[in-house]
Amino acid sequence: MIEASHYDQARERISTQGFTPEIQTKISLLLSFTKSGNLMFHAGVQWQPRLDPVHQAMLAQYSRELEALTLLSRTTQWSLNPALAMRGSQILAPLTLAWGQVMLPPGPLLNPRAAYRGISLGHAQLARIRLAPVIPDPTDPLNPFVVALQRIELENGRLLQTQIRLLKNMPTEIPLAERKARVAADQHLVNGVFNDFLRWLAAD
Amino acid sequence: MPITQYGKHQVHYELIGDTDRPIITFLNGLTQNATLWRGYADYFVPRGYAVLAYDLLGQGNSSKPIIDIKLAMHADMLDHLLEQLGIEQTHLAAISFGGVIALDFAIRHGQRLRSLTVMSTFAELTPHLEFFGAVMLQGLAEIGLPYLQHLLYPLNMSSAWIATHHEQISAMKRAGFIGNDAYALQNLMESFIDFQPLTPDLARISVPTLIMNGEFDFFTPRECHEVIRRQISNSRLLLIQHAYHAFTLEYPAVTMRQLEVFLGQISDGTWEGDQSVWIAAENPDAPVQWLTCSGDWRRAIQTGEAKTLLHESIQPHTPARRSNP
Repeated sequence: MIEASHYDQARERISTQGFTPEIQTKISLLLSFTKSGNLMFHAGVQWQPRLDPVHQAMLAQYSRELEALTLLSRTTQWSLNPALAMRGSQILAPLTLAWGQVMLPPGPLLNPRAAYRGISLGHAQLARIRLAPVIPDPTDPLNPFVVALQRIELENGRLLQTQIRLLKNMPTEIPLAERKARVAADQHLVNGVFNDFLRWLAAD
Repeated sequence: MPITQYGKHQVHYELIGDTDRPIITFLNGLTQNATLWRGYADYFVPRGYAVLAYDLLGQGNSSKPIIDIKLAMHADMLDHLLEQLGIEQTHLAAISFGGVIALDFAIRHGQRLRSLTVMSTFAELTPHLEFFGAVMLQGLAEIGLPYLQHLLYPLNMSSAWIATHHEQISAMKRAGFIGNDAYALQNLMESFIDFQPLTPDLARISVPTLIMNGEFDFFTPRECHEVIRRQISNSRLLLIQHAYHAFTLEYPAVTMRQLEVFLGQISDGTWEGDQSVWIAAENPDAPVQWLTCSGDWRRAIQTGEAKTLLHESIQPHTPARRSNP
């Protein structure tokens, strides 16, 4: 679970200092990385030989994740401090490993367990990494970075429907108990990363 | 908050007070969590009760399954929780979504109950409620959790409450956004897809049952509570004046007082489950708490008799003819 106090501390810091380039860079590192992981997965499965509604939802998600990534890149005031990227990589290391496991040959297109894992990990990211609560109230509603964050947050909720439907209903021979355990483990993993991230965001 | 295990799931609960006292277990509404009952514990523990509250699966700090969750699982989990805590019997008080679980529990695990209080709830999906549920689910899935949160304030609270708390609502919504997960709420809501009406089995509930309904609750209106009142012979319906759906939050003092009166009637043997309808006093300190209800409680307006109009010589209104210019 995500500690509510971590949100409060991060919001407090942003409220005091504003969305500095350092804070924007931290947030964009996290979101860019998670969306790149999901994009990599979608790139690996989107050429399946059918064009049913599920496939179309996957293609749509690929496009929207790409849009979000572009939006972030355009609106972020990046910090020049290289230590941020290094510390960010440390915090995100568990996700680097997890997405790497999903993409191991033969890849999710040919490995049903990797495919299920990719959907489960994508779900955990879209569901648990939520940054709207760190935006102070009141804030400048026309701040481009805030607008981008709010749009991404809203879109994540919609994108999540693809993962929800697939996790619940996709035909698979993976036993139900194993699927439930997979989903719980990925949520736990993402919760851990995001708690660490919020602590980092709140720190000086 | 302590944790107990239900299969692979974790359940967070709070038990306040000695367990050798009568225990009141509270069940949450859809977007609520156990901490909302702490004020109730502050009231009832000094009055000789213990209070148990917990996060349902999909809520607060309890596990939030994605793949499946059956509605019946919630009542079975409550049975398991009571077993784990060594609680043989409890008074059960539940609101809204929790009320459905409480009715299911009372039907299938009735031997565990001393009494049942259901508030702002339903035993079957009326066409009105079915449409409400569908639009809420659609809003959650297609627009998002902030939309559902925004929708729930006017559904749950009165204009007066919203006006008074306008400045705080933003912070309240943020806390709700952090504490709730859209997918978990969606899963809880989708558990109603296979929902079978509990109405045919309500007659099996034999414990004293208090049904509470807000005067202006248009989310689960009177017709929902009428179904329950008619089917449970050992029941009474109590209407909460001025209240909308979430009166446990808007009028906690009134709600606690009514529950205290009900539990007092059970303990001193004066409870009469006669399916009668009452109105709760507005003032929780008033000497008489349950007022008689005259007229048709299912209606929002009360019509007078025709002879009154005739007596006052009020004639049907005929518009005056306008003269041509």
